[in-house]
Amino acid sequence: MTRVSRAGDTADDKPDADGRVMENQDLLKDVGKDAAKDAKKDPRAEAGKSTLPQPGRPVPSRAYPGALIVVEGTDGSGKSTQLYLLKRWLEIGGYRLHFTEWNSSPLVKSATRRGKQRRLLTPTTFSLLHAADFADRCERQIMPLLQGDYLVLADRYIYTAFARDAARGCPPRWLRNLYRFAPVPDITFYFRAPLDVAVNRILSGRPKLKYYEAGMDLGLSYDRAESFRLFQARIMEGYDKMVDSDNFVVLDGTLPVNKLQKQMRDIVASKIDLKRFAPRAPEQE
Amino acid sequence: MAEREKEKNVSGAAAVTNEVAGAANSVSGAMPSTEKHATSPVEDAMSQYFFGEPLVGFDPSEITGQLVVIEGMDGSGRSTQIALLQEWLESEGFSVITSGLRRSNLVGRDIDELLAKNAVTRLTLSLMYATDFFDQVEHRILPALRAGAVVLADRFIFTLIARGVVRGINRDYLSGLYAMALRPHLTFWLNVRPETAFAREFKKAQAISYWEAGRDMSLSHDLYWSFIRYQTMIKREFEVMAKKNSFIELDGEASVSSVNKQLRAKIGEGLGIRATKYTPSAALAHLWR
Repeated sequence: MTRVSRAGDTADDKPDADGRVMENQDLLKDVGKDAAKDAKKDPRAEAGKSTLPQPGRPVPSRAYPGALIVVEGTDGSGKSTQLYLLKRWLEIGGYRLHFTEWNSSPLVKSATRRGKQRRLLTPTTFSLLHAADFADRCERQIMPLLQGDYLVLADRYIYTAFARDAARGCPPRWLRNLYRFAPVPDITFYFRAPLDVAVNRILSGRPKLKYYEAGMDLGLSYDRAESFRLFQARIMEGYDKMVDSDNFVVLDGTLPVNKLQKQMRDIVASKIDLKRFAPRAPEQE
Repeated sequence: MAEREKEKNVSGAAAVTNEVAGAANSVSGAMPSTEKHATSPVEDAMSQYFFGEPLVGFDPSEITGQLVVIEGMDGSGRSTQIALLQEWLESEGFSVITSGLRRSNLVGRDIDELLAKNAVTRLTLSLMYATDFFDQVEHRILPALRAGAVVLADRFIFTLIARGVVRGINRDYLSGLYAMALRPHLTFWLNVRPETAFAREFKKAQAISYWEAGRDMSLSHDLYWSFIRYQTMIKREFEVMAKKNSFIELDGEASVSSVNKQLRAKIGEGLGIRATKYTPSAALAHLWR
């Protein structure tokens, strides 16, 4: 069980009104008061403030009763299909869950669309817009639902930004800092498929790759398919580097769909106390 | 600390004045981890241009212009001074480009909408402002500096950091976020009392806006007190940053002409303009009170 120190594990350890949960999360403190005074009031906040996260080290652990399951992998690795099936399994079982997708916040959508259409985006602004999108989902959905004892499923998470934005040249340390407000997943599935398999899955199903999707802004190749392949290779390299440092559960994306799903469900059932998220569990409390 | 950083920066610090070197550590110099930022040789050479990390694809040899930042709270007289400075510099034959918050093509309008709807959380808003800022750095400020222009920035990362910090976002986080921000050649801080700022802002629009008064922070139901408390908190953050970043603090309560004179003296020094005499044209005479 990866659950270390969760406020929700014991009934009387509920997050209190002055936002201690947020302090554990290190980034966000109580609003409306002098910041320095706040830090003095709570020594833990002071201790947590002094270091920038190092690359390869997850953000500090936090306190909430929910659980977070994340899938990562290159385009065409099969992760979305598998997460969909996992979601169906849990939905049919009646579990309390919320599904969230990378780059899907309506607040940020028009900006992203405009930036892509007019090719205004640089590696830095591309990265920042995605961070703003994630922050919006994090503040308004992911965190509140984790506090509210939900199972949250995320199709792509901060590791997508670490792998992809670093492939575009953003400094890894800057990226790690950018996303340090993100809660650490309980399970991160990394779907790994050989580059050719993943790339061919995408190329065969899509008439034309989009400019940023193909990584054309990197100037790797004038040919979109070739650019996409080179870009994906860099991203995969980025993912591979995080396997140990970020506790990825590596799954073989070339396995038959149902076999892979079986593995995924077994791992979820063994690592997460699913009973907690069932609608009615009379024996539990 | 400033001394050591200066030594490191000696090599090829052509366009950078001494004031800037004092700011060599990160925006919030209190954190020990920023020292690690200056370890690799690449970053050493870059630290005169950036607070922490260089922008992707940045080439320092291209920078020939000057970046001048004017900071200060709402009602401190920033935009008045920038209008006057622009006219003065142009009359001296310098090309001038201005920048300011929410002016990017990428997300400027989106932020306006978010603010109008008031449907945005603090971190998201902070990151949208960061996007706006870096879009302007990459598409407006850097091209201008490459072309040898003087960039007059109406506010900079310091306002953005202060606004985030008073809303409870970690200071180190924000410093890290803006680690790739260009380091200004000169940063002026027009310091005014919140009470003065309130009177000036109210006179301007006969109203105080939701965000100017920091009403999202629930400081007071009374608009006046909300404004005063909020701007006092912002001011306190500026005091923290002023030393670490070698702000040139000017008394924003002084007359427009005397503040402008001090600005011209400092900026003229950096640009090699000897005589900094100036009287505004008829078009701007109304600002010269």
